[in-house]
Amino acid sequence: MTFTLPAFTPAIPEMFVLGMGCFILLVDVFLSDRHRVVTHWLSLATIAATAWLTVTVAENAGLLTFSDMFINDSMGNVFKLFTYLTVALTFLYARDYFNDRNLFKGEFYVLGLFGMLGMMVMISAHNFITIYLGLELLSLSLYAMVALDRDSPAASEAAMKYFVLGAIASGILLYGMSLLYGATGTLDITRLGVHIAEAPDINIGVMFALGFIIVGLCFKLGAVPFHMWLPDVYEGANTPVTLYVGSAPKIAAFALFMRLLVEGLGGLRAEWRTMLIVLSILSMAIGSIVAIVQTNLKRLLAYSTISHVGYILMGILVGTTAGYQAAMFYVITYVIMAAAAFGIIILLARKGFESDRLEDFKGLNDRSPWFAAMMLIVMFGMAGVPPFVGFFGKLYVLRAVIDAGMIWLAVVGVIFAIISAFYYLKVVKLMYFDRAPEGMKPVEASLDMRWVLSGNSLAILLLGVLPGPLMALCARVITF
Amino acid sequence: MTITLFDFLALSGVLFAIGMAGVFLNRKNLILLLMCIELMLLAANSNFIAFSRYLNDPAGQVFVFFILTVAAAEAAIGLAILVVLFRNRHSINVEELDSMKG
Amino acid sequence: MVQAVIFIVLAAILIGSALGVISARNPVHSALFLVLAFVTSAGLWILLEAEFLALVLVLVYVGAVMVLFLFVVMMLDIDTTTMRQGFVRYAPLGVVVAAVVVVEIGYVVWTRKLGVTFGTPVTHAAKYSNTRALGDVIYTTYAYPFELAAVILLVGIVAAIALTLRRRPGTRSQNPAKQVRVSAKHGRIRLVKMPSGRSRGGEAP
Repeated sequence: MTFTLPAFTPAIPEMFVLGMGCFILLVDVFLSDRHRVVTHWLSLATIAATAWLTVTVAENAGLLTFSDMFINDSMGNVFKLFTYLTVALTFLYARDYFNDRNLFKGEFYVLGLFGMLGMMVMISAHNFITIYLGLELLSLSLYAMVALDRDSPAASEAAMKYFVLGAIASGILLYGMSLLYGATGTLDITRLGVHIAEAPDINIGVMFALGFIIVGLCFKLGAVPFHMWLPDVYEGANTPVTLYVGSAPKIAAFALFMRLLVEGLGGLRAEWRTMLIVLSILSMAIGSIVAIVQTNLKRLLAYSTISHVGYILMGILVGTTAGYQAAMFYVITYVIMAAAAFGIIILLARKGFESDRLEDFKGLNDRSPWFAAMMLIVMFGMAGVPPFVGFFGKLYVLRAVIDAGMIWLAVVGVIFAIISAFYYLKVVKLMYFDRAPEGMKPVEASLDMRWVLSGNSLAILLLGVLPGPLMALCARVITF
Repeated sequence: MTITLFDFLALSGVLFAIGMAGVFLNRKNLILLLMCIELMLLAANSNFIAFSRYLNDPAGQVFVFFILTVAAAEAAIGLAILVVLFRNRHSINVEELDSMKG
Repeated sequence: MVQAVIFIVLAAILIGSALGVISARNPVHSALFLVLAFVTSAGLWILLEAEFLALVLVLVYVGAVMVLFLFVVMMLDIDTTTMRQGFVRYAPLGVVVAAVVVVEIGYVVWTRKLGVTFGTPVTHAAKYSNTRALGDVIYTTYAYPFELAAVILLVGIVAAIALTLRRRPGTRSQNPAKQVRVSAKHGRIRLVKMPSGRSRGGEAP
């Protein structure tokens, strides 16, 4: 049997992350707790170098390698760069939080890097096998990161729920993949797409497989009615872990939707559109309405995530290039906003005080006018108030929906956007018009975190004023 | 009478349904929940192997090889989380996992 | 014909043991039913000429994963009396979900249509080795997923150790390296010259 060595160049960033992950794992063993910060900076340096490598190998775009199981395309590279950005933000925000609580452990960084590798594999996956392995690499890292605070009953409970529901989702997804494999005879995304496009009629086996796959994917993304794990995981996990779970994996999950549903099963657009419409409306409804009664900000943000997932699905279900581009814009801007929101919770928290209840934000303007303003930007951004970037995310998605002739769906989207604006504005009201309870200390945080967090929040404003370049980038890389 | 692909499909379909039903029926014990998930994975694996045989394509068997590997790692992590949970709560009863609501 | 009989017998045992898993009162019994399900599945896989995976299923699943399950079941002292209370209450939902899946799969099986034409399976020569056929592709065509599987196992190791390893202060443990390095010359045995015979006074030797 002859064997030709595959081209390694397109996958250099992945190999680098893997190598550095193992290296940091080893280095961390020999570090004393006093020098643990070396792990932190090594991880950040790894991410920076990976970003540089990704830009360098971007000229190989469109290249398939490893027996067509890995694809390097410009869409994937853009996703990857934003994934690195959010993971780097997570690491930066996490340091002081873990330091204060004696939880500053190398495992968080190692698992974070391996999780990032899982996302990269998912983004570049071009075969069911690599999709599944990337997804599991990410999920297993996430389960472990949620449970990493071993002495917290809430964290271990959240991890268990996440694990059980995630494993069920994997099982369902795999069963769907097995049916699809039987119905098309291939595991390759391109060949799957060709087979579906050439099939004379829609086959019942493929339809069931499609159902299973959408259920599995929506479990992972957190769309209603498969959202049960999301609020508990967001609330129970440590805030930096919540930030990790709630940001970058959404990009990877969106990439998975693009690869599986659009590239692979694009021929069944009419069929999955119906399913996604139901899921999208349910997600927007539950996410907007249940969030109103929440008293915990992390839980509130979990429901806000669910409603944002509804809008992302809305962009996908349109099934046009404009819709995918709008959804991509939405995902990227949402992830930036989520990172800033959890970053501010981490900033205000200190040992013994999580700052994750809504009442902890009362009178924030008196304590720290600057970060109250940053939180204002984030909340207005998420609510979709112009000129913040969230407005353009919603605008592009709704415009794509209207262009596709589904005006009623756009109306539903606008109604739920207005309902959800209510609870974002409630947070703003607490910050500016309520008195702080007695004994609240002023904000204290390290300088680098203040700067990065301010930059992160101001990006929401900046991207809102100038949405053009990011949208042009999305338009350039999505060509389905 | 010969055995066809569809007999194997029916069998793994029933197996998957039993696993799925087990997940919903069992609200008391997390370990049983994990076992039901193993049943679902077994059904998916059997599907892949049957298809691989009748399509004359080794890819399905290779996929099963990887699923088995991943499932082993998954079981290890799941049981580790279970042990941590038990240390914290002294219970693995599903219905007692209700400290967070809303 | 022989194959059909084997299939029916194994299928009956498999379904029976799967039902046993979800209905047994004692989690240890459930785990043992699951072992039975895996072993019968391995038999079915051999019927499908996937010998290597059948053996891996027995070795990895029954030999490692299920032992881990049993270990955890027995380590965690679970109160089995209260365990089955939820069974009746949730039975309708479970039955409905299962019925939907069975009807769906049943429909596929009934119509016997899946989109591709299935050839009759190749009968392999006596010298054919399923292990070799898989090995040929796993290390070449599927080298990339193979590496990914390795990373997943690494994550499993890191996670399991990070979650459950506890260094308690004051525990006594052996240091094998130190034990191995010991030699008679370096202080393990000290020869002390002692005067023989009775020493002064009445001290015991």
